[in-house]
Amino acid sequence: MVAINLTVNGTPHHLDVEPRWLLADVLRENLGLTGTHLGCEQGVCGACTVLLDARPVRSCLTLAVMADGAEIVTVEGLAQNGQLSAVQNAFWQEHALQCGFCTPGFLITATHFLSQNPHPTRAQIREALSGNLCRCTGYQNIVNAVERASAAPVQVAKAIASEDGN
Amino acid sequence: MPNTSTPFTGRPIPRMEDPHLIQGQGTYVSDIHFDHQWVMALVRSSHAHALIKDIRCGTAAKIPGVHAIVTASEYPDLKRRLPGMEPMAPPILAYDRVHYVGQPIVAILADSRYIAEDAADLVEIDYEPLPAITNAEIAARDENLLHPEFGTNVLEHFEKQSGDGVQALRTAHHVVNATLRMGRVSAQPMEPRALAAQYDPSSGELLVYHATQSVHRAQERIANLWGMDPEKVRVVAPEVGGGFGVKNGSYPEEALVTYLAKTLAQPVKWSGDRFEEFFGTYQEREQVHHVTLGFSQEGMIVALHDTYYQDNGAFAGGGMLVSQNTARNIPGPYRIPNLYIEGYTVMTNKVPQAPYRGAGRPQGHYIIERMLDRAADQLGWDRLELKMKNLVAPKDFPYATGIEGVTLDSGNYPRVFQDLLEELDIDAFRMRQSEARQQGIRLGLGVSNSVEISAGFGFEGVRFQLNPSGQILLTTGATNQGQGHRTALAQLAADALSIPMEQVTVIEGDTGRIARSIGTFGSRTIIMAGNAVRVAAQGFIDKTRAIAADLLEAHVDDVVFDNGQFFVKGVPSVSHDWKALADAWQSQSHPEWPTHEDYFSSSSATYGFGSHGVIIAVNPSTAAVRIERYVILHDSGRVVNPLLANGQVIGGAVQGLGSALYEEMLFGPDGEPLTTSFLDYRLPGANEMPDIEVYHRDYPAPSNPEGYKGVGEAGIIPSQAIMLSAVEDAFRDVGLRLDYAPITPGRLFKSLQERGENA
Repeated sequence: MVAINLTVNGTPHHLDVEPRWLLADVLRENLGLTGTHLGCEQGVCGACTVLLDARPVRSCLTLAVMADGAEIVTVEGLAQNGQLSAVQNAFWQEHALQCGFCTPGFLITATHFLSQNPHPTRAQIREALSGNLCRCTGYQNIVNAVERASAAPVQVAKAIASEDGN
Repeated sequence: MPNTSTPFTGRPIPRMEDPHLIQGQGTYVSDIHFDHQWVMALVRSSHAHALIKDIRCGTAAKIPGVHAIVTASEYPDLKRRLPGMEPMAPPILAYDRVHYVGQPIVAILADSRYIAEDAADLVEIDYEPLPAITNAEIAARDENLLHPEFGTNVLEHFEKQSGDGVQALRTAHHVVNATLRMGRVSAQPMEPRALAAQYDPSSGELLVYHATQSVHRAQERIANLWGMDPEKVRVVAPEVGGGFGVKNGSYPEEALVTYLAKTLAQPVKWSGDRFEEFFGTYQEREQVHHVTLGFSQEGMIVALHDTYYQDNGAFAGGGMLVSQNTARNIPGPYRIPNLYIEGYTVMTNKVPQAPYRGAGRPQGHYIIERMLDRAADQLGWDRLELKMKNLVAPKDFPYATGIEGVTLDSGNYPRVFQDLLEELDIDAFRMRQSEARQQGIRLGLGVSNSVEISAGFGFEGVRFQLNPSGQILLTTGATNQGQGHRTALAQLAADALSIPMEQVTVIEGDTGRIARSIGTFGSRTIIMAGNAVRVAAQGFIDKTRAIAADLLEAHVDDVVFDNGQFFVKGVPSVSHDWKALADAWQSQSHPEWPTHEDYFSSSSATYGFGSHGVIIAVNPSTAAVRIERYVILHDSGRVVNPLLANGQVIGGAVQGLGSALYEEMLFGPDGEPLTTSFLDYRLPGANEMPDIEVYHRDYPAPSNPEGYKGVGEAGIIPSQAIMLSAVEDAFRDVGLRLDYAPITPGRLFKSLQERGENA
C-alpha cells in the first residue's frame, strides 16, 4: 500500500492505495463517488473523465498513485451549493442525456472545453466532444446543450429534490 | 390548490430523471455495494469450438482474497441448461465442450475484481480444438454438427407465403436477383451488463439488482431455475445504462450470480467489463438473403421471393425471433401481392444472436429497399419514382401485407414521402451533384421508407398509490434504460388526476412493487404502460371517491371528480383535493395507503412510418463518407413528449449510422472475434455525425385508445439500406453495386479500387 493525498471536489483525503489501483476505482470504491462511470477501461469511451489539476483525464487510465497531491473534480463537484452549473442545466433543458451513463464524462469534458473556449462554433463543440462516446442521444442534443451553456453561462436552475423522496 | 388547465401530455418537458443523473447521483448496478460482497470474474473460452480436456485451478485458489473457484464439475447444478434458450440451450458453465469464444467456463469469487482477475489468469484449461463453423450457409448443410445431440445445425426453417407465392414470379415482366448480406453488429450500451444479488437464509428471500429490461421475466427465470417461489425472488432494475434489446435475454451470468448468492449465502456482484460486452453479450443482424423481385411492365411489384440464412451463433434464444421478425418486415410499406419467404436460422461457433434495437425490422427493410434500388438501376427506372408508385396508399388501409398479423392501418405514406422529396429538393440536388462530379467531388442521395411495427402482444400495468400530502406514487414493472418513461408517465398521470407533475413520482422495474409486467423492448412501453395509466387512473379515482364521500358526508355515488376536485354532484363550492384526501386518510390511521393497480392488454400492433433521406459526400481517394444532411419525416402517432420522441428517433438514427458505416464484428476463420474493443469496433462519434432534421407527420394509431405508436426503433430501421443507397448513388455513373452492409471505409475503398475509382 502507498499513502497518497487527493483533494476531491475541494475535500482533502488521505488514502492508502495499491500501486495498481485505477484512479476511477479509488474514487468509486474508496471514496464512494460513483458518479464517475467505467464504460470501457480502455481509454476510449470517456465516461470516466475527471478533471485532474484542471485538465480532463481518463480516470481509467490513471493510476491513483499518479494523482498523489492532485486536485480532482468529479461530476459530483460540478453543482455548487445545490445550484446546477450552467453546463448541467443546459444538459437538462436540452435533453442531452438518456441513460445517463456517459453523461458525467461529457459534463466534465464540456465544462473544461467551455473554460478554454467560451464561445465555440458548433463544429468546434463536436470536435471537443469527439473523445466521448454516447450510445443513446446521437450527440445532437449534447451539442445543443454545450451551445446553450456557452450562450448563457450564468443561467442555472435549482436542483430539485430526490425524485423518489417519499 | 391550483390545477393545470394546459395538459402536460404533448409538451416538451425536460425530464424528471435528469437532476439526479447530471449530478452523478444515479445508481446503476455497478454502484451497488453489499457489505461483505464477493465479486465475480469469469474465465471464458478462448476457443470457438473445442473439447475441454482439463481445468486446473489449484494455483488460482491459493491467492489471498479468493473465496471460491466455481466449475460445473464442482457444482453440478451449473450443468443445467440456461432457461429461455430453447430448443438448444447452453449449460450455465461449459464443462465438456465450448461452442464460442467467450463462453463462461469458470467463475471466481474474490474480495475485489482485481483479485478475481488475478486468479482467472492462473486458471489453466486444456482444450482439444475442433473445426470452427463460422458460415451459416455452410453450417446449414450439416456436414459438421455443432451439437451432435441436436442432430442438425438448423434451429428453424420456416416458410411464409401469400398470393401465388413463388409461382407468381413467372408472370412478372421483369425479374431482378441479388444476394444481399448484413454483417454482425453489437449493441454496446455504455453500461456493460451487471448483476448483484443478496440472499437472506432466514427469510429465504433473494434480492437481485439487475441491469435488465424485464424484471418479471428475470424473476420467473431465476425462480424456475433454482426452484424458488417467485414471491421470494425480488428483481430490481435500478438505473440501466442503455439496453437496446441485449439486456433482455437469459444469460449465464444471471444464473451464476443468483445461484452463488443463494448457495453460498454471500452477496455476489458481477459488473461486466467492455471485453465481456464484446465476448459474452448477444449480437445481431448477420444474415444472407438470396432475393428475386418481379415487376410488371409498368414497374409495379408482382412478387418477391427470398431465401435467407441467419447466423444465429452457437445456441438458440432470442435470435429465432429476429429471424421471424425479419420476414414480417420484408414487405415494409410496399404493396407486394405475392410473397414467398423462407428463413433458416442456423447455429455457428459465434456468440448467440438475440434481438438488438430493430430486431428484424432493419433486416427486412434492407431487403426491400435495396431490391427496389437495384431494380431501378438495372431496368433504367428512377429509384424515387419506383418507390413512390409501390407504396401502400391511404385508400388501401387496412392493408394486409400477406404476412400473418401485419396489417398496415394508418398514415399517408405517399404524401409523407413526397414531403421528404420536396424537403430534399431533389432537382436542385441532382444539379449540384452533377456539377460537383465535374470537380471530382462525389455527392450521393439515399432515401428509404419504413414502417415500425411495435407492441402487439401482452400487457403492461401501473399501480397508483396515494401518499402523504396528496403525493401520487406511480409504479410500473416496465423498466427504464434511458427512454424517460418516468417523465412521460408522470405527464400522463398528472393529466389524468389533474395535478402538477411534481406531485407524481414514478418508480419502474421492481417486482416488489407491482405484481406483473412484461418489460421494455420492441418500442412498447408508452403504448402499453401509457394506456394502462389511463385505465388505472379511472379505477384509482373510483376508489378514492369513497374517501371523499366520507369527508363530504355523502353517498359515494353522489361524489364526482372533476379538475382535481372531489365534490358532491352539483355542489362544486365544497370540494376536496388529493391533499385533503391524503390528510383525512392519514388522520384515520390506516395501515396502508390507498392503491389501485390495473393493466392494459392488446394484441394489435401499431404501425409508425418514416421517410428518411440522406445526402453524403464521398472522398474517392480515402473512401471517407461525410453526411451533409439527414432528414426524417416521421409518424410517431400521438406524442406524449416531443423531446423524448425526437430523442429516440435521432438517437436510433445515429446508432444505425454506426452499423451502416463503421460497426462490424469480424471473426477469423477459427471463429476468433477480431473486434473486441472500441478501438477495433468503432461507434459513431460526435465529430462525424450530422445534425438530424426531424419533421413530424403524426397520425394517431387506430389500434389503441390513446393513439400511441412506437418510436424506439424507428430511427435505426433504414440506416443500412439508406447509406448503401446513397454511396451507390454517388458513383451511379460507374455502376457501383453494394451488396454488403456495413459499407465501411475499408470495404468501400476496396470496391472503388476494383473499379479504378480511387485517385
